[in-house]
Amino acid sequence: MTTLIQRSLPLAKTSTPALQFLRFRGKINIQRPKAPHYERARVVAVTQPKYPELPKAKSCFKTRAERTKQQQENPYNEIIAREVRNWLEHSRLVAFFHLNSITADDIFRVRVQLHKQNLHLKSYGSKIIEQAVKNTQYEAILPLFHSNHCIVFSPDTQKTAALLRIVRRVPQMVLLGGIVEETMLNRNQFVAYAQMPGLHAAQAQLVQTLNQAPGHLIQQLQAHQNSFVQVLDVHAKNQVKEETPEST
Amino acid sequence: MSVPFSGALRRSGGIVSAIGKQLKSVNLKGVKRITVQFDPFAENVKSTREFLFLLSTPKVAGTNPKCVVKPEIVCDRQPANIKFALIESAQEQAKVKEIRFNSDNLNTLELLQLCNKHVSSLAPREEITNKVLTKAEKQKLAGGAGGGKKATKKK
Repeated sequence: MTTLIQRSLPLAKTSTPALQFLRFRGKINIQRPKAPHYERARVVAVTQPKYPELPKAKSCFKTRAERTKQQQENPYNEIIAREVRNWLEHSRLVAFFHLNSITADDIFRVRVQLHKQNLHLKSYGSKIIEQAVKNTQYEAILPLFHSNHCIVFSPDTQKTAALLRIVRRVPQMVLLGGIVEETMLNRNQFVAYAQMPGLHAAQAQLVQTLNQAPGHLIQQLQAHQNSFVQVLDVHAKNQVKEETPEST
Repeated sequence: MSVPFSGALRRSGGIVSAIGKQLKSVNLKGVKRITVQFDPFAENVKSTREFLFLLSTPKVAGTNPKCVVKPEIVCDRQPANIKFALIESAQEQAKVKEIRFNSDNLNTLELLQLCNKHVSSLAPREEITNKVLTKAEKQKLAGGAGGGKKATKKK
């Protein structure tokens, strides 16, 4: 049957090609390849791919990997930038510190002490903070992040004194400035704010000052009556003293 | 006719390794107090802050544990400066009481280079007083005196 097909359709004839075995047990050679024939070499040279190169001025000092890589920003940065913006908007007290060389143990101890006072210690990269804060009202804080730093957030403003007390024991943290109730303060202003009494105390002081003038007037009006009452008191006491020795 | 070789055989590691190299030779033994004053909102304070950070590292601070590094924050936009208050022997050597760097227009590497040039050179040299001899060194000293007999005995 097959010979019939082969005779009628000559192109259907299949024959196994001549096999010459190159490898026999030994290791193949790839380290010293044979130089190609001139014709083959010509074809290979022509078919080599050519990649476009950037203008030299921009890529002069970059390595080959940097030149060929395409820069793509990590979308996770956007998420962290949003978190930073959230913290900035919802904290009424924000303090910025320069951080010197400190062990992880020590910074953890500081973090725990701050956490007990509802103060949250955070640190983010300068690029992320730039992305979070640029073209917003917080743009003025950008110069503080050029070097090693940390940020402390808190939802209540009464903790400035506690914060400064804790940070005083840590020589590696240097206060640079802060934001209190949407007002940017430099270091001296921040320390002065911490030393001021709270809002209720200030209000009580104001009320006291306002009441001083009318209080003085009332005191003067009642002066004669008060002195008369005092004189009568003294007189009554003297009379009582005279009566008691007489009775005894 | 070949041109004689000129240039470097090894490539430089960049600014970071230059800073590291300078840091290794920083010696604060001749200083008793360092005051780093800067305004955080001024321009060009990055190098001052980096220098402050590098001074606080354990290796640099370990060269002189008695030396106090005090950061001073000012709020009036004045240019940043770094003051080194010297110890008495260094004062005699340098004939000044303190050295001041105006670090507004210097970068971190230049600050470290200047520090090594002016401050580290004033560190008092250490003298080795009680040197404990090891057993091998003692044998060597003794062996120099009565060596021959011992050598034959060992053989």
